[in-house]
Amino acid sequence: MNVSLIWWGLGIYIIIALVIAFLSRTGKQTNMGAYFLGDRKMGGFVSALSYSATTYSAFMLVGLAGLTYRGGVGALGFELIYLMGVSLIAFFGPRFWIVGKKYGYITPSQMIGDRYQSKASAIAIAVSNCIFLIPYSAVQLAGVGYLLQGVSNQQISFSTGVIIAVVLALFFAYIAGIRSVAWTDSLQSLFMIIGSTFVVLFLVHELGGFTGFFQQLETNHPEMLTVPGNGYFSFLTFIGLTIPWFFFSISNPQVSQRLFMPASLKSMRHMLLGFMIFGFIYTLVSIFWGYSAFLLEPGLDNPDLATPVVLTSTAIPPVLAVIVMIGIIAAAVSTIDSILLTLSSMFAKDVYGNIRKDTTDQVQLRIGKFIIPVIALMAYLFAELQLDLIAVLSVASSAGLIVVVPTIIGAFFWKKGTAAAVLASTIIPGAVVLILELLQAKPFGLASGLWGLGLATLLFISVSLFTKAPEAKANEFIGYIKKNIHRKRR
Amino acid sequence: MKEKSAALIIGIIILLAFITPFTFLRDVEKWYGSFLFWLLATSLVIIINVILTKDWSSEE
Repeated sequence: MNVSLIWWGLGIYIIIALVIAFLSRTGKQTNMGAYFLGDRKMGGFVSALSYSATTYSAFMLVGLAGLTYRGGVGALGFELIYLMGVSLIAFFGPRFWIVGKKYGYITPSQMIGDRYQSKASAIAIAVSNCIFLIPYSAVQLAGVGYLLQGVSNQQISFSTGVIIAVVLALFFAYIAGIRSVAWTDSLQSLFMIIGSTFVVLFLVHELGGFTGFFQQLETNHPEMLTVPGNGYFSFLTFIGLTIPWFFFSISNPQVSQRLFMPASLKSMRHMLLGFMIFGFIYTLVSIFWGYSAFLLEPGLDNPDLATPVVLTSTAIPPVLAVIVMIGIIAAAVSTIDSILLTLSSMFAKDVYGNIRKDTTDQVQLRIGKFIIPVIALMAYLFAELQLDLIAVLSVASSAGLIVVVPTIIGAFFWKKGTAAAVLASTIIPGAVVLILELLQAKPFGLASGLWGLGLATLLFISVSLFTKAPEAKANEFIGYIKKNIHRKRR
Repeated sequence: MKEKSAALIIGIIILLAFITPFTFLRDVEKWYGSFLFWLLATSLVIIINVILTKDWSSEE
């Protein structure tokens, strides 16, 4: 691909995004709630687009397309079952929102710490989230590095790509906190979906329209339309992939924190439904992209290369390829900036705020702002080092974060859950997931996430039965939700 | 729609989304096999979400 065309594309994207980021600086962000939650006044439309951009990373057009390339329609099932799992927001969203307003929670881990009356729980969850999500961000950064290096035929170095991505994410997160993140996310989500939809329609058209497209698959590669198909998506592989992602909307703090932000439940509804429609389209686009790559360039050893190979092939006019490339970079940056912001709020509120006594909101905000570039720097260094361990941690992230699911369900629905159970079910299964991923082990054919979730559930229930629950808080917390959840519905 | 009935219906659809493609649609090597099934199942879940959340209020 022509390098000057790439630079032009990048330049236009960066300038528009920076202008939006600066324009978003309305009002004063002088407290944690304003900086990290937008004063809990986010509108539905921006929330929906921002939620979409945060959730969907470079994984979609690279990893999911690669999965389609490798195993066929199972990739669609995996991603759509995740999307169905987002229905969890319809049940947990109002509950997060009601207690968030009542108790002034800034982070999901702060909510857990308060609900179970345990600072140690808040710290443990915040730290474990950092352990998994900083490497996840690093791999996203590295993804941008590889993509630019690949499409420019080595003329843009890996480091240049990584630096561009990290500087952008840092700017977007720092300029006005969640406001700049939400507004730039909205713009980036449009880059992601409009460009790629257009290009995929073009590709499908080139491959004979939808009829011709499916005819080619049905005649020449029928196994790509079934599971287990060519054998890649065995049932165990399928559930091992799917289950950790299914709980993503409540287990991943960069998205569950969003449940504190909407101005009203109606705004949350718009966020949820808007996201589901976005996700439905973007998933289809990514799957068609993967299938197109398979039809155009079959026989690649590494399916993760399918996207760069198609982008640089003659099948796509260079301008369209640049549009998709920008969409992928936007997807990565919009995920990283939200993670930066969420992790720094967790560090300030849950780690610093719990270890140092009597810190004010202002001091925590200063710490949070100070820590944003520190986390960005760590992600950058991890990306540059390209350590195997970082890749392992990143792959393990969805499996590693799932261990908090029993704790979250318990917070809202089980008064007998205890702090000791939170600690046991977060730390032990978290470590087990890490070890399994490091050893690349799948005992009894089950993936690490399934072991993590199973063990966390077992530990959460059994330890709770033998330790004392914070009854007064549990009654107050769950009672308040019960009393208010119907009032918030017309 | 009540929360409990919505949870039950969504739960059943998701269960079917795991089972059906690996059993009944295993040999249907057409676009109207697993591909269409997963799309329809997801559309149905989205519609249930629309109904379930339709009376969420705009009170701040």
